Amino acid sequence: MPELIRMRVHIVAVLRTVMSSTAVVQDYTPNFQGWIDEFQEWQTRIGFDPSWLGDYRFEIKFDWDTAGENIEFGDFEGMPKWHRRMQIPQQSIRDAIISMISVQGDTEFASVEQQHHLLESAPTEYDRKSALRIMCEEQRHGWQMAYLLCTHFGEHGIREAMKLLERNSAGNPFRSDGEGERLLGSFNEPIDNWLDFFCFTHFIDRDGKFQLKMLSTSAFKPLAASMGPMLKEESFHLGTGANGLRRIVKAGVIPCAFLQKYINKWVSTGLDLFGVDNSSSAQWAYVYGVKGRFDERETDLDADREHLNEASRMLYYQELEDEMTRMNKARHEGEPEILIPSDKFNRGIGDFADSHYTIEGDAFDGSDAEWESYLASVLPSEQDIKQLSEYLKQDWIQYREWKD
Amino acid sequence: MLAFPMLVIDRESLKPFFERVPELFQQHHHDASQDAMGYEELLYRIHRPFTNEMLDVIDEWMGLEQQSYREEDAFRLHLFLLAIRYPDTLLLESLDEVLLGDIKRLSGYLHFTKHTYSIWDEDTRKGLMKLGLNIPETGYADAFIYGSYCASIELIKDLAPFYSFIEHDVPRQRLFQAALASFGRE
Repeated sequence: MPELIRMRVHIVAVLRTVMSSTAVVQDYTPNFQGWIDEFQEWQTRIGFDPSWLGDYRFEIKFDWDTAGENIEFGDFEGMPKWHRRMQIPQQSIRDAIISMISVQGDTEFASVEQQHHLLESAPTEYDRKSALRIMCEEQRHGWQMAYLLCTHFGEHGIREAMKLLERNSAGNPFRSDGEGERLLGSFNEPIDNWLDFFCFTHFIDRDGKFQLKMLSTSAFKPLAASMGPMLKEESFHLGTGANGLRRIVKAGVIPCAFLQKYINKWVSTGLDLFGVDNSSSAQWAYVYGVKGRFDERETDLDADREHLNEASRMLYYQELEDEMTRMNKARHEGEPEILIPSDKFNRGIGDFADSHYTIEGDAFDGSDAEWESYLASVLPSEQDIKQLSEYLKQDWIQYREWKD
Repeated sequence: MLAFPMLVIDRESLKPFFERVPELFQQHHHDASQDAMGYEELLYRIHRPFTNEMLDVIDEWMGLEQQSYREEDAFRLHLFLLAIRYPDTLLLESLDEVLLGDIKRLSGYLHFTKHTYSIWDEDTRKGLMKLGLNIPETGYADAFIYGSYCASIELIKDLAPFYSFIEHDVPRQRLFQAALASFGRE
């Protein structure tokens, strides 16, 4: 009897092996197709009308030329990049890649949840169509990440792809009670008005550019090859933000001192997106070769593996300062210069989290009550939000026509 | 992206150009002769309904003498600019010779009223030739020649890798047209 059982177990095991390899092939399309069905439900659930897409089609795009042939950094440097899951040498590396793709995908869908309600209050047709284009492309990016998960990472990947559609940004006004929040802080912030929208696209989508570029040198080639087309599209998104803020400064209706408060609000959350200081997960991602530095291909310097997040954050910060220099040139006479607040101010993550620093970067010595009072003076208050709605009734942004 | 035009292009030969797009663009667009500030202002100043004054400021930026079309021609030009949709160029054939005689001027009108059509420029044409895209020399706004010129720049834009796309306020057609102009001059 035990022999018969052993034989039966063996036969079942063989059958399972044969069936599972067949199932992978047979289930591939239905799996992604199943995800697509869920995606369409997600659009409706979050309040995004699919008819807004017009003739836009979600495409999977790769740029294999820029993805590189060999692993570019870390402990596997010089070896061929991995095209398939089974080429990845360790489960921990597979898990790290799944996690990165999932976080990236999560942000893409989150931003649509945060922004779609603004379409009906766009200041111009140009802005409405630009925002809609951004939302289409963000959904395409999420679609691309889901495709990678479903195609390359089996059951685990499919489960993670489904989760991308189950969470809902806390910043979405069309959110039901009990829905899980998005993974990162900035993507749960409400984007209540068009000034927030331009700040978000300028500061947070710019962080997105940094993340995409850091993944563009990944050892997992389908991930690296996904980044080129996404980066091309992302440059329009952050350009919309930078250009929108410049148009606001040029119009001169919203005073620069007022704008400064919104910039203070968004810069700190953008800096937080780079993660903790002395990050071991960033270090492991580098050791594995799956996520590089922002300037990985441009720099000759060896990586400081213990401070990878800090290095990327400083490059981001430098870029913000350079952009602000350009923006300040559009100021009306007598308007104060707009500053990028210190990287120590109002941080929720990293060495400066829960510490009190002013926007100039000086330690704040006052009591907690004084700190709250200080924050109220440098961040948008309830009164500022009311004041903003008054500004938004005027010609608050330089007119630009949509050209078709 | 259309597959057929890709057969006539050597994609490997494009790579050195793509790496230099940011530098080549800066050289051309920010050259004193190009009046970059003036260009960027025009992106906002030209809007529907198009007026003769708007076309005059385009002429001024392009370094051309102001046009002096008959009223009927001017009317037809305005209708043409309202009706045409990128990437169509066949509608050019509906215009009279007097309007078609100056491809540079007409391309300027199309560029600033649509932001998608490219400015016709001899150096840009030479740049395309160096990349293997043979666009005939002409001063006449032939629908097929100008159409091929715009489609070639569109193709270059489609094939370009992400690092060619610098952050700037200009439309992407301008980014590549200006880079090609610098490249063509070399």
